[in-house]
Amino acid sequence: MEGPEPTRDHRDDTLLQPIAKSGRPFWMLVGTLLAIGLWGAYAWSTQLRRGLSMTGLNVPVYWGLYITNFVFFIGISHAGTLISAILRLSHAEWRRPITRAAEVITVLVLFFGMGNVVLDLGRPDRVLNVLKHGNFTSPLLWDVASITTYLTASTIYLYLPLIPDIAILRDRLGKRHRFYRALSLGWAGTPRQQRILNGAIAAMAVIVIPIAVSVHTVVSWVFAMTVQPMWHSTIFGPYFVVGAIFSGIAAIIIAMAVIRRAYHLENYLKPIHFNNLGILLLVMTLLWFYFTFAEFLTTYYGAEPAHMAVFRSKTEGQFSPLFWFMFVTCFVVPFSFLANKRTRGTVWGTVTASISIEIGMWLERFLIVVPSLSHPRLPRTAASYTPSWVEWSMFAAFISMFLLLYAVFTKLFPIISIWEVREGREHGIREVTERVESYLPAAAEATHG
Amino acid sequence: AMCPGGCGVRVRRISERAVKLEGNPLHPVNGGRLCPRGQAALQSLYHPDRIAGPLHRVGPRGAIGSFERVSWDRALDAIGGGLRKLREAGRPESLVLLRGSSRGIGSRGARRFLEAFGSPNDVVLDRGDEAAAIALALTQGVRAVPAYDLASADYVLCVGGALLEAASSPVHAMRSFGQFRQGRTGRRGKLVCVESRLSITGSSADEWIPVRAGTEGVFALGVAGVLVSEGLYNRDFLLERTEGFEDSRRGDAVARPGLRTLLSRHYGLERVSSETGVPVDAILRVAREFAAARRSLAVGPRRGPLLPGRVFDHLAVQILNALVASVDAPGGVLVPEPVPLAAWPELAADAAAEEGRRRPRLDGVSGKSGVSDKISPRALSDPEQLAEAILTETPYRAEALIALGADPLFTSAAPEKFARAIERIPLTVSFASLPDDTALACDWILPEAHFLERWELWTTPPGVAYPLASLAQPALVKPLHDVRPAAEIFLALARRVSPQIEAAFPAKDVPALLQFEMGGLYRARRGAIMGTPFDEAWVRMMEGAGWWAPGYGSAEELWKGALRSGGWWDPFYDHEDWKRVLRTESGRYEFRADLLEPSAGPIEPPPSTAKPAEAKGTARRSLSLHLFEPLAIAGGTGAELPFLQAILDPGHAAGWETWVEIHPEMAALLGVREGESVRVRSKDGEILARARLTPRVVAATAAIPVGLGKRGGGRWAAGVGANPLRLLPAARDPIGGLPDLDATAVEIVPASAGEPRRERKV
Amino acid sequence: MVVDLDRCTACQACVVACQVENNVAPAGAAEWRQGRAVSWLRLVAFQNGEHGTRPELRLMPVSCMHCQRPPCIKVCPVKATQIDREGLVAQVYARCIGCRYCTTACPYTVRHFNWKRPEWPRPMEQALSPDVSVRPRGVVEKCSFCHHRLQRARDQARLEGRRLREGDYVPACVETCPAEAMAFGDLEDPGSSVSRLAQGPRVFRLLEELGTEPKVIYLSKGESGGRA
Ligand SMILES: Nc1nc2c(c(=O)[nH]1)N[C@H]1C(S)=C(S)[C@@H](COP(=O)(O)OP(=O)(O)OC[C@H]3O[C@@H](n4cnc5c(=O)[nH]c(N)nc54)[C@H](O)[C@@H]3O)O[C@H]1N2
Ligand SMILES: Nc1nc2c(c(=O)[nH]1)N[C@H]1C(S)=C(S)[C@@H](COP(=O)(O)OP(=O)(O)OC[C@H]3O[C@@H](n4cnc5c(=O)[nH]c(N)nc54)[C@H](O)[C@@H]3O)O[C@H]1N2
Ligand code: SF4
Ligand code: SF4
Ligand code: SF4
Ligand code: SF4
Ligand code: SF4
Ligand SMILES: [Mo]
Repeated sequence: MEGPEPTRDHRDDTLLQPIAKSGRPFWMLVGTLLAIGLWGAYAWSTQLRRGLSMTGLNVPVYWGLYITNFVFFIGISHAGTLISAILRLSHAEWRRPITRAAEVITVLVLFFGMGNVVLDLGRPDRVLNVLKHGNFTSPLLWDVASITTYLTASTIYLYLPLIPDIAILRDRLGKRHRFYRALSLGWAGTPRQQRILNGAIAAMAVIVIPIAVSVHTVVSWVFAMTVQPMWHSTIFGPYFVVGAIFSGIAAIIIAMAVIRRAYHLENYLKPIHFNNLGILLLVMTLLWFYFTFAEFLTTYYGAEPAHMAVFRSKTEGQFSPLFWFMFVTCFVVPFSFLANKRTRGTVWGTVTASISIEIGMWLERFLIVVPSLSHPRLPRTAASYTPSWVEWSMFAAFISMFLLLYAVFTKLFPIISIWEVREGREHGIREVTERVESYLPAAAEATHG
Repeated sequence: AMCPGGCGVRVRRISERAVKLEGNPLHPVNGGRLCPRGQAALQSLYHPDRIAGPLHRVGPRGAIGSFERVSWDRALDAIGGGLRKLREAGRPESLVLLRGSSRGIGSRGARRFLEAFGSPNDVVLDRGDEAAAIALALTQGVRAVPAYDLASADYVLCVGGALLEAASSPVHAMRSFGQFRQGRTGRRGKLVCVESRLSITGSSADEWIPVRAGTEGVFALGVAGVLVSEGLYNRDFLLERTEGFEDSRRGDAVARPGLRTLLSRHYGLERVSSETGVPVDAILRVAREFAAARRSLAVGPRRGPLLPGRVFDHLAVQILNALVASVDAPGGVLVPEPVPLAAWPELAADAAAEEGRRRPRLDGVSGKSGVSDKISPRALSDPEQLAEAILTETPYRAEALIALGADPLFTSAAPEKFARAIERIPLTVSFASLPDDTALACDWILPEAHFLERWELWTTPPGVAYPLASLAQPALVKPLHDVRPAAEIFLALARRVSPQIEAAFPAKDVPALLQFEMGGLYRARRGAIMGTPFDEAWVRMMEGAGWWAPGYGSAEELWKGALRSGGWWDPFYDHEDWKRVLRTESGRYEFRADLLEPSAGPIEPPPSTAKPAEAKGTARRSLSLHLFEPLAIAGGTGAELPFLQAILDPGHAAGWETWVEIHPEMAALLGVREGESVRVRSKDGEILARARLTPRVVAATAAIPVGLGKRGGGRWAAGVGANPLRLLPAARDPIGGLPDLDATAVEIVPASAGEPRRERKV
Repeated sequence: MVVDLDRCTACQACVVACQVENNVAPAGAAEWRQGRAVSWLRLVAFQNGEHGTRPELRLMPVSCMHCQRPPCIKVCPVKATQIDREGLVAQVYARCIGCRYCTTACPYTVRHFNWKRPEWPRPMEQALSPDVSVRPRGVVEKCSFCHHRLQRARDQARLEGRRLREGDYVPACVETCPAEAMAFGDLEDPGSSVSRLAQGPRVFRLLEELGTEPKVIYLSKGESGGRA
């Protein structure tokens, strides 16, 4: 009943194609992204030389694009590990071709999230003071701790399911042999190895969920632990987590659509996958709306002047165009695409919703950071904040470098987990049948009766 | 002292560097305190654009690059030679001295030089106190700047002026204010400000009464009318000490209508209310409060060292003080005494000089110049007329000009005319320390030493009642640059021009000059070396009892003590010394109802003061221009220093630019949005400013700060903001002849609107 | 510190005195417009009258409140801002990493960041006081209650073999205030003049509802009596 020897199975060779050879489009992409990355390096060097005066920041808008991007990237990071872990633990069979693509996002994007904090420091040279003189009453330190933990856990969680696939590459690819051999840790696919691996993956999936939740909660606490208007809110923890999952799922959908197209994986990533993620995304859309509504209504009813100043600047003042655009992109667009079965059932439908959500969620982060700072409690003529070319360049460079690393990953490892797809084919169907039967009232006896 | 305020300063030094200025705690003017300008003064000492030595212009006017550095000898020889030629040619009168309001030795030396040289043309540019002084001359017969005893008053009605930030001595005024408010147990002074723009002083007031621009005097007369009609005045004082309250009669006919008639005839409540825009009940209430308070004081309009206000308004406000007998009484209007410095020796006979001094002045002001106790109810200088005279060369040609602490190309009411005029003078010299607009247009710049680098003896600042002389020695052992004190420069010029002029100076160097002057204080046998509040109380008590207990036994001891403590003063003020303070022909306070007839003053509201609603229909919307001087840049100086540029107005957090305050309703009519750049245009000029929409101004008024918009002034001032003095017409105050700053109509259009349609004036 | 708003004339001498005393670099027009000019003390304007009410402008000098329970200290990740023995909220320039968390957490917006290296065009550097360190680029600074003056006063007192007396230690802003609106002293000493001032009916603290327990105390405008 077993299929051919794992490394001799040729049914999923499409998945090895991107690793085996790279065409001109790939190198052109690499070139472009590298160029943008280099531009970013130049922008950063000017900031290092001339300080944060190169940004558009001022008093009282001490935080801007960098902190927005920090929150945004960390939010995206919930794409992978968390979604994948939840799907794994709930034995959602359709997860199999998705998890890896998602997990990679997490690991990579975390670096860029942290990178934004370093960018934002006035004295990046003293960043190690955080270890030397760490002050545990500071939510920023909680952030350092939880993000580091999350990064470690996510990396392990990405790596464990990679091992069998690395073994396949080691045996089949014929290049980078030493690299794959070292990373495969002598994987031979023995039942014992398989049992240990499955156990480890399951354990990590359990561990990683609270960590992921904690990460974005702590990110929200950076704001909520101050007494600033429209930051000091108990709802911020869950609100941020929901937003993070929201933007995370959208990121997975976009990533899936791209690799599907680029590597001709229509056979693996089917509209049904998009549809299922789309349903999740729809739930998150509604949740997002619920939280946003609750947050704003609470503020509005409390009507404290300091809070209302921020509230008004968002709903009718200086930030209102961005705010309402955010509302459209975070709610109106995704809701109409995802609630409609016909559009949700298509790749373009979910992708459009997802792109809209990413834009909207970035704006949401921006609209959390900047308007509160622009309206401090004591009146003060605020210079308006417009991000400088350096900040935009760093944003572009970080996105480029993320895409570049992601692309390189797909060139080194299968972006769809080969062994898990096989496992699905070989065990999944039986397992699901058994499971479904186990839900039913003693069906066998009923027939005998 | 960066201003005529004349505060005592102590310098914290680290080896040869001055690192902080503090007020001299013993000094009676400032009692250890300094205003922001004083605090920022180190930035002027160490200003990177200070002129480091004498400069001679070799290129076109207006740029510092046109100057080359020369030695003092060369500069003094050249200038001295030029002046000598004028004198030898018998035209000493063609030398013009243009100076600021400094009461220091430089100014006294300059005047002596001019006199001995033989010219009558001593022209003072800063006229902030002139209107008040003219009003005092008209009513009390003393030509002096009145001193308001704020510290002892219980109720202060400030009409049209920024009593605190625009005071001649801001620190003194603010200390008094602190005392007035919370310095006396059980007594808290109440301040009511009546003005068309809520000034910074107004923000400290208990009440702001907005009044239509230009009608402040009318308001005061309205209040006076209530006091009179309700009998809320001091009958005894009126009877014994005043003249002109009742009509003067010849037989049955009224020869000259008195104040009572004037008020009832022209300044009835309804009329005043409709003209000023102040509700009747507010006028009534103010009048009753004013009458009910124990010590009430009314203060007339003054908006800064450059902006005197109208004499009409000052006269009207003074009436209130007279009605409640707040004249020469504690908490009232006091008359400062002259400081008994030793008079400089009589000039030796010099026919040429005498001939020159007898020529008419170029600015057309008659009478002997610079004599402060002369009872002249007119302005003592007329810089705008001077510019005209230079341009038209009538009555004669100006052939040399010395500008000392004066920047007419920036601060006169006719800056552009002065720019043209100065080009007509063959020899022009500025003593500027930073390259101001005038210096950049002169042929020579002889940089004066900074006040921290020189010896000084300042006399009482305007607005302070007691005689006082502040003595200061250089804070730095040697000046930072190759610069010299003005008095020393005049001595050096005197030496080069003629021995007769040199002989007119009683000493050969500045410290010796000061010592000579201080001798007069010793011989006056009064006053004391500055000391603690305890010393002050002691001296006051002794002198009150007719004793004099000096802390010094010789002129030398006085000199040394004054050097140590900051100077000499006489804290005893003899109130109700009527012979001294009422020196009119009648020997009484004169109400001068004749000058307050509506026809003589600006009774008809200018067409521009209509309410927005009224203006709606008209195609052209003109506003009346209200100028004010923020403390930081008062007197046309301060913009050079970055710390001062940043604090122009805390109400708007305004800095580093010129703004125009417009009432939001008016702005809506004009189509002007908050923060946008607008063109402010009068028939005489146009400037760009940023619109600030604020209920701090009454509708139909456009308020603009004076002090920005320099061409020169160094890196921080040049090109920052715009100079609204360019908008002023040549209008004159009918009483006294000062420029009338409240008679300018402007229109405002968004700068983005481009050229507005040309419309004919209605 | 006690600020009597009934005396204060909004002259801003305190603002400039602080800058001169504490080696604040001159900022130009561009920096000012960008909102980056450093001023440890500023005048906060409360204006009403926009909506037809009686126009009023209230100005209030605001420096660091040296809160007894300062929100800024809790959030600093590296303990670069701390409450010291005297109860002053101090800033350790050499440790600060410039994250600007404290600046955003301070409800009074009184902390400043060095966006660029401070510069003094020659010869302005000559006016720098050796008592106060010049802050490098990238760190946060704020009112120190003129801590260096405390040190100086303490040294002087020790030299004279006596304890610190009231008036020995007066910050630059208080020293210059022309209206004598500011008073400084030990609030814990019940006999000090500030303690006496802090008793009256006009006393209030800024944003006291936030529980920061500011050590800067204001006296409101108006009669000193109140309801008898
Ligand atoms: N016409 C009329 N006159 C009356 C009475 C009446 O019924 N009608 N009632 C009489 C009676 S019973 C009384 S008790 C008196 C009351 O007379 P007042 O003592 O004048 O009392 P209030 O009018 O309440 O004003 C008290 C002031 O305190 C200010 N204030 C409020 N909270 C604070 C605070 O926390 N700190 C400080 N420093 N100030 C604060 C308020 O703004 C107000 O300015 O009036 C008597 N006079
Ligand atoms: N909103 C608001 N509430 C307040 C206050 C405030 O300032 N604002 N102030 C508070 C203070 S300080 C006080 S003292 C209380 C006062 O509150 P109350 O004691 O309720 O005082 P009044 O409103 O004056 O009402 C007293 C009643 O007594 C009646 N009355 C008058 N003369 C006589 C008489 O000779 N004999 C009898 N039997 N009745 C008489 C009057 O007609 C009236 O009905 O209010 C308190 N409540
Ligand atoms: S009032 Fe005048 S003299 Fe006194 S500190 Fe201010 S600028 Fe200097
Ligand atoms: S120096 Fe004194 S009077 Fe001036 S603004 Fe500061 S506190 Fe107010
Ligand atoms: S005022 Fe701000 S900076 Fe000062 S102690 Fe309080 S929270 Fe900290
Ligand atoms: S900016 Fe400096 S003082 Fe402020 S929180 Fe960050 S490290 Fe601490
Ligand atoms: S106490 Fe010192 S540091 Fe603080 S505002 Fe006053 S002068 Fe500045
Ligand atoms: Mo009461």
